[in-house]
Amino acid sequence: MSLRIRALGGVLARRGAQSVGVAVLVSVLCFLVVRRLPGDAAYRIAAGRYGYDLVDEKAADAVRAELGLDRPAWQQLGGWLGDLFRLDLGRSLVTSRPVVEEVGYYLLGTLQLAAVALAFATVLGGAAGVLAARRPGGPVDRLATAWVAGVRAVPPFLLGLVLVIVLSAQLGLLPAVGHDSASGIVLPALTLGIGLSGLVARVTRDAVVEVRQSDYVRFAHTKGLAERWVLLRHVVRNAAVVLVPYLGVQAVILVEGVVVVESLFAWQGLGHALVHAVFWRDVPVLQAAALALALLIVTLNTLVDVAGLWLDPRPRRQEARA
Amino acid sequence: MTETALVTDRGTDHALSVPRATVRHGTVTLVDVADLRIAPGRPLTIVGESGSGKSVLAHALMGTLPPELVAEGSMAIGPARFDLADRSGRRHLWGRELALLPQEPGLSLDPTMRVRAQVAEGARGWRPRDRAALRLADERLDHVGLAGSGAAYPHTLSGGMAQRVAYAAATIGGARILVVDEPSKGLDPASLDRLADLLAGHVADGGLLLTITHDLRLARRLGGEVLVMRDASVVEGGPADRVLTAPRHAYTERLVAAEPSRWRHAWTSPPTADRTAEPLVSARGISKSYGDHVLFRDLSLDIRAGERWAFTGPSGAGKTTLGNAVVGLASLDAGSVARHPATRGGRVQKLYQDPTSSFPRRVPLEGPLRDVLRRHGAGEDRLRSLLAHVGLPPEILRRRPGQVSGGELQRIAVVRAMLARPVLVFADEATSRLDLATQETTMDLLMTEVTGTGCALLLVTHDPALAAAVTEHRIELGQA
Repeated sequence: MSLRIRALGGVLARRGAQSVGVAVLVSVLCFLVVRRLPGDAAYRIAAGRYGYDLVDEKAADAVRAELGLDRPAWQQLGGWLGDLFRLDLGRSLVTSRPVVEEVGYYLLGTLQLAAVALAFATVLGGAAGVLAARRPGGPVDRLATAWVAGVRAVPPFLLGLVLVIVLSAQLGLLPAVGHDSASGIVLPALTLGIGLSGLVARVTRDAVVEVRQSDYVRFAHTKGLAERWVLLRHVVRNAAVVLVPYLGVQAVILVEGVVVVESLFAWQGLGHALVHAVFWRDVPVLQAAALALALLIVTLNTLVDVAGLWLDPRPRRQEARA
Repeated sequence: MTETALVTDRGTDHALSVPRATVRHGTVTLVDVADLRIAPGRPLTIVGESGSGKSVLAHALMGTLPPELVAEGSMAIGPARFDLADRSGRRHLWGRELALLPQEPGLSLDPTMRVRAQVAEGARGWRPRDRAALRLADERLDHVGLAGSGAAYPHTLSGGMAQRVAYAAATIGGARILVVDEPSKGLDPASLDRLADLLAGHVADGGLLLTITHDLRLARRLGGEVLVMRDASVVEGGPADRVLTAPRHAYTERLVAAEPSRWRHAWTSPPTADRTAEPLVSARGISKSYGDHVLFRDLSLDIRAGERWAFTGPSGAGKTTLGNAVVGLASLDAGSVARHPATRGGRVQKLYQDPTSSFPRRVPLEGPLRDVLRRHGAGEDRLRSLLAHVGLPPEILRRRPGQVSGGELQRIAVVRAMLARPVLVFADEATSRLDLATQETTMDLLMTEVTGTGCALLLVTHDPALAAAVTEHRIELGQA
């Protein structure tokens, strides 16, 4: 037991140190990238605030003076890192609202979408995988293989449009866009979830087939354990040892790569926020959004590590013993 | 008198008998036996080399044959009759009346679950979080000498301990008929003795015992009846002490002669090594411990060309670690190991205990062997002649590791090691998972190659008889 707690402490310490490093690196990279973007940042910010038609040289100068954009680059960077160290992310250059609020709002949106999508993918893919594994090579298995190829071949925007046309426009079951009602999350989450479910099904199927052939599952049978307990106590858990790290990778892809689907369904998530921040040169929001994404990925990896420790007590690195 | 008669009567009633049993795979007959009978108090042990069909027979009786094997025949437990072709008909007996102690106990325990829960789930009327079953599991673990190990995970147990956990899990349901499948693989003599005591206890309590083994020492210890199987059928049967000391069938004679203490080969007399030659490996004052557990301390040794060394001792004594340290695969706490320049460039080769995990699983055997050919610039003819030496056709290399037997694979591992023209071969329990006859063939091939090339041998084994038959220098570890 104490060994496991020590392992847990090790994971948390390692990931904690990693997150600090990631925070600094991402901030600096973001800053440099924004500096290299073409065009006058003060002009773009002013346009974001007052609209394109109302911007002139004077407004841009006012913005420049107000935000200190004429200071040397290293001062601006130093100021931002200092603020970050005090956990003060500043205010949006465009809306003047605190960045924490702004990014927090979008982060919540992304997390909701990712969590529901992942849940859809796990339920759909997991069930298909377990069913396919009952008879490898049987009709269900072949159907599942076709499903995997099918959902991987359809790009998310096309799948999203098809779902909108069928479920929303034709059947009128769900709202097509928006963030207002709870049902608004279903279509974007389903679009993402179906796309992922194919590979989840494949990984689950292979893991379950392998575990079912293992000696400990056969021994569980001859011990006299009923089939459903063998499945619940031995097969599911050992298959999860393979599946959970895979779901972690999928979660990262979900968090990073949902821009298309967020845009399609006008879902207010981080991807959405990031695109707008780049467009309006809203450096604090941009940096905070990138930072949030980076830290989220570290957090997800930490969760996967902790779940792995809980599921599988075997040590990860082992010295050969006599 | 009446009471004795009654007991005997009941005993007859509850015997297991098999009038006829056959198992086929396509057109190949794997098992064809008749008139087996196991009575309470009189264990039955089936011996024979791998591939003789003895394990298949055990699984046919359990009803756990893989789907591609077809069983025919019937068996009777007391008055109840069962059709061997019907797979599901005996499922309700599992754990309650008919129990199996599987091969490879280490793999038969779920790596993610504590030992106590795995034992408890075999109890009669088990429900999740069943306190009575958990208490019973603790009692059973106590009975097999593992009190206090209930919270352990399988990876922390030695092979012998895992074996006893599996025994507790298999018998907690109170099954009277216990089928034990190859229990001796990789076990050191002390662990095997403890297991034999448990099995004898099961018989003394009125249980029925069917043991499948290639270990004649275990068969002798268990006593009772012995059947010798070869090529799907029984060649000889009778009381254990008679069959294993005065065999009548030529095959049984060969089996008995395959025990290392009776080996007679051209290489059995030690070669005259040049004691003045520069040592290949020279260890000075080496020590290693894991935590408080001291494996060896201040040990010195010199291995010269042509010498044969054995490191022996029970599991966990550190003999593999010592071997690894000598060939440079493990780090040391103190001391130094100097290796002669002749050992560089892959001229030290290791043979592993489990050949299946020392070959890539999904690649035909040809791949890894050709890699060695390229690396060491050996010719195709050398590969062919080595294969011919170990009695394998070149076509076998098109198969994958899972498609050849353990003995064949270990012989291919010997070929792989010898392709590099080694000056030192380190055989780490390389034959401890093979049956006696296969062990002798494999060892004979290895030793013929080793002696022929003047290569030095380092043997790690828990079998003192094997060490005595093969080597002239021995270091024993783990002597408290």
